[in-house]
Amino acid sequence: MSEEALKLGQKVPDFELNTYDPAEDKFRNFRLADQIERKRWTILFFYPADFTFV
Amino acid sequence: MGCDLVTVSTDTQFVHLAWKKSEGELAEVRYPMAADPTGKISRMFGVYDENTGLALRGTFIINPEGLLVNSEVNFYNLGRNIDELMRKFKANLHMSKKPNEVCPSKWKDDGDKTLIPSEAMVGKVHEALVG
Repeated sequence: MSEEALKLGQKVPDFELNTYDPAEDKFRNFRLADQIERKRWTILFFYPADFTFV
Repeated sequence: MGCDLVTVSTDTQFVHLAWKKSEGELAEVRYPMAADPTGKISRMFGVYDENTGLALRGTFIINPEGLLVNSEVNFYNLGRNIDELMRKFKANLHMSKKPNEVCPSKWKDDGDKTLIPSEAMVGKVHEALVG
């Protein structure tokens, strides 16, 4: 969609997102660097909008 | 399996909280619901739709070294198949432990047949799969 978009095989730059975490019922930050430090796989699942249907 | 799922939309974390608490279909959800209201991360992954300010249905698998190993993007009207996502994750996990193996199209789970590419297999994949 745009030239800056990541490509397969590329190292994903560290990023941070505010999240709502239902497991703790709290807002907390998600950082990719934490996943790498903990040696965890990450699946990012994008979707258009809350309160919709598919 | 050593994997964390994070959902992302351009809604704020407040909307995620409200949606989680009101929608019965989300009762079992335990994964973090991320907010990308500026679209910065959606643009980074190439799923931000400038016309709507929304993210397309993109799924990205990042390995523990931080490499992007898989991507799938659907338009608004097509849901993603979760069995397929599990298949792709398990395959990537398997191959990370066995880097000389590849998972053919019928591979679904550990124990299914993999291939070990080599010069001898060139032109003889059929024999490798059925043999």
